[in-house]
Amino acid sequence: MKPMFYPRLALDGMRKNKRMYLPYLFTCIGMVMMHYIITFLEYNPALAGMPGGAVIPEILGLGGMVIAVFAAIFLFYTNSFLMRRRKKEFGLYHILGMGKRNIGFILCWESLMIAAVSLTVGLMSGIIFSKLAELGLIHMVQGTVDYTLTAAPEAVKMTLFRFAVIFLLLFLNGVRQVRFSSAVALLKSESVGERPPKQNWIGGVLGILLLGVAYYLAVTIENPLAALSVFFLAVLLVIAGSYLVMISGSVMICRILQRNKKYYYRANHFVSVSSMVYRMRRNGAGLASICILATMVLVMISSTSCLYFGGEDSLYSRYPREINIDVFLQDTAALSTERINALQADILEVAGRHGVTPEDVYQYRSISVAGMLDGETVETDVTKVSAADLFSMADLHQFYFISLSDYNAAAGTEETLADGEAMLYINRGGYEGDTLSFRNGQSFHITKRLSAFPVNGLTQMDIVSAVMLVVPDLAKSVTGLDALADYNGDPIITPQWTYCFDTGADEDTEIALWRDLTDMLDKDSGYRHYNCDCRDFERQDYYGLFGGLFYLGILLSIVFLIAAVLIIYYKQISEGYEDQARFEIMQKVGMTGREIRKSINSQLLTVFFLPLLLAACHLAFAFPMIRKLLLMFNLNNVALFAVTTVISVVVFSLFYMLVYRITSNAYYHIVSSRKEP
Amino acid sequence: MSMLEVAGLKKVYSTRFGGNQVEALRNVTFTVEEGEYAAIMGESGSGKTTLLNLLAALDRPTGGSVKLDGRDLSEVREAAAAAFRRDHLGFVFQEFNLLDTFTLEDNIYLPLVLAGKPYREMQKRLKPIAEELGIAGLLKKYPYEVSGGQTQRAAVARAIITEPRLILADEPTGALDSRSTDELLRLFAKINARGQTILMVTHSVKAASAANRVLFMKDGEVFHQLYRGKDTDEELYQKISDTLTLLATGGDRR
Repeated sequence: MKPMFYPRLALDGMRKNKRMYLPYLFTCIGMVMMHYIITFLEYNPALAGMPGGAVIPEILGLGGMVIAVFAAIFLFYTNSFLMRRRKKEFGLYHILGMGKRNIGFILCWESLMIAAVSLTVGLMSGIIFSKLAELGLIHMVQGTVDYTLTAAPEAVKMTLFRFAVIFLLLFLNGVRQVRFSSAVALLKSESVGERPPKQNWIGGVLGILLLGVAYYLAVTIENPLAALSVFFLAVLLVIAGSYLVMISGSVMICRILQRNKKYYYRANHFVSVSSMVYRMRRNGAGLASICILATMVLVMISSTSCLYFGGEDSLYSRYPREINIDVFLQDTAALSTERINALQADILEVAGRHGVTPEDVYQYRSISVAGMLDGETVETDVTKVSAADLFSMADLHQFYFISLSDYNAAAGTEETLADGEAMLYINRGGYEGDTLSFRNGQSFHITKRLSAFPVNGLTQMDIVSAVMLVVPDLAKSVTGLDALADYNGDPIITPQWTYCFDTGADEDTEIALWRDLTDMLDKDSGYRHYNCDCRDFERQDYYGLFGGLFYLGILLSIVFLIAAVLIIYYKQISEGYEDQARFEIMQKVGMTGREIRKSINSQLLTVFFLPLLLAACHLAFAFPMIRKLLLMFNLNNVALFAVTTVISVVVFSLFYMLVYRITSNAYYHIVSSRKEP
Repeated sequence: MSMLEVAGLKKVYSTRFGGNQVEALRNVTFTVEEGEYAAIMGESGSGKTTLLNLLAALDRPTGGSVKLDGRDLSEVREAAAAAFRRDHLGFVFQEFNLLDTFTLEDNIYLPLVLAGKPYREMQKRLKPIAEELGIAGLLKKYPYEVSGGQTQRAAVARAIITEPRLILADEPTGALDSRSTDELLRLFAKINARGQTILMVTHSVKAASAANRVLFMKDGEVFHQLYRGKDTDEELYQKISDTLTLLATGGDRR
């Protein structure tokens, strides 16, 4: 036998079926490209250099894994469809005397060629696309542009490895199918409809169960970054659950539609419903893939655009005044009026040098302590507090004691409190109890719940909730607690003085003042440490970070959108070629072009909304988790997030509709064009 | 007036680049009366399939006319051709042309569904037909789950359920074994006995001998025709064989 026999046979087979193989090849290329871009970004030093850049590669790394899993599932489905076509040919070879081993050789060559082409072209387009993306990013942060193409070797290696495994699995699956079916079964395989899964409900129930667990994880996760593995698990569960639910769900819907005779036996529903039943699993898989990509796009765009557009909001909540100073003192004695006055005098002196008189000043002394909230008692025992696992993060709070006089002065009120009474403000969630008692410390009767508080910007940045307790006497309120120490032997309570003000001066003066203040505070060593921030100085950093994230979000969304478009296109084209013969028969029996159109539209309407609905459902359950992520960026504007989410959903739906329309035109042209006589 | 009038029908195919021209039908003229069971015979390449495509308005003639109930098919607009076929013609094909995506029942309903008939009426129509054709127990099966003969009977059911003016059968026994062929021919005779007009294209002598009239085609023309008269199937079979032998050995036109 000639050495080139098998490769030639494989190549010929693919060339003859190029209408099926080309879309498949494009899908493979798209998947490789998508995977490469994500891993490229993971290893990109420019990203790691961004503030918060430490977690982004980690998230992208997991994202790369998710893409690989997703690609494996999707390619398996598209490949199974190709195999149906090829099996007829293999059956013929088999009958003509070719052994199954030899058919295996053909399959092997075929897999090798597809793998080679999709990896080369996919990586190349990935490298070009990622370079373009990098140029865009650099342009955005106004860096110097470097036009040389660079590839990340790690990303290339990772992509090659993962997709080699996927292609190997696809090949083995093909061999398995040929190995275990007779020549006649091979010949007939194309016309046999997909049997509906017998225990369909098991898949459905399992899918719902998986989604339930994933949703539970998503809703209860307290700190998505600290629990990345849990977060990742939730994502994988959502993917698996979506597939199961979509597949059995679409089977169920089709059955219900079929059972409804009045609906089913209508010219425009008849054909569409029956062809959906015919390929329900594949249909479900396609829809689930679209749903997952839609969810990814929506999550990314809604959250990053929210960050970007909520940047100012976030900035103001993190830095309530132009200059914000927090001084953390050694002990409660340091909160004495003399010490504070001395500090304030120093600050005023520096401000005076710049011709600034602090405006809108608010200042207060506070003592903070971390504790676990258990009903109405607070556990401050370090061993128990630090043993707090991730799931009880919800109970972990930072408590701030503030004296009534400071509060009245800062808020401009004239509240009064008796001994043992307190007013309470909590920045996230709520507190319903009437009393609050600290173990080893004091108990307070809550007389009033405050709806607003001149909140310290630092508490906004904290992932744990802050509880502000306005008490009549600061020193007395921590009696008991002040004796306790943490692991290092340091006291668990932190006395702190907060002093914030606006300058009323221009930005340059403000920043100059801030630098001098920092110098001044550096020299003084009468306290543990301090924070001194200037809002206008931080603004650039904020926009650098949020702009970068927004750009990253848009970039990844484009990548996912390309994948979604590919899937929709693939679905339409492959089904079109499959349906071509059918529509020809139907035209002979008396179906008009208009009726074909109508039936296509009916199919579109039946399945169009399913992935969007499920994606919206995913998004709704991801909402609390994304909110928590956003909170870490000091963004607490739920309304803005809701708006960006809704806008993202609407824009995505329109885009999706457009793509579906265009590709269904392609479908129409395929099925309505008669073959040459 | 005859039900189907074919006059001077001509069809010329040109190759893609317009060079060679192939004359598939030269000058075909014949009529079919209401209630007739006619067969058209001829060898491969004699223009049978082309003729059938023109009769079904699947293709347009180069010259001549096809009139069904006095209505010229070339006046039916392209868009209305499908609806015309659906309402007036029933088809039985050699390769059955049932859809894999439908059960036999749904396949039979297809033309009625396209015509927008309510489900109750379709059900009412199907019941007697299914029993007559002996497929009542197979209605929920898919085409790939039943035998060729059963598939073809379902295809016949699909053709007659619309109560068409004319049934066009294209080599209906071509893909069937002899037992299924006998069954199908009996069925056609039975349907015809009820008054249904049938026009069948075939090159099987056996199939043709079941008809009441046989038209012979050669080189794009109707060359000869035989009427059954009082002949039995066997006698007609013999006459057809003789005629074919004559045709093949190049006898003159009578």
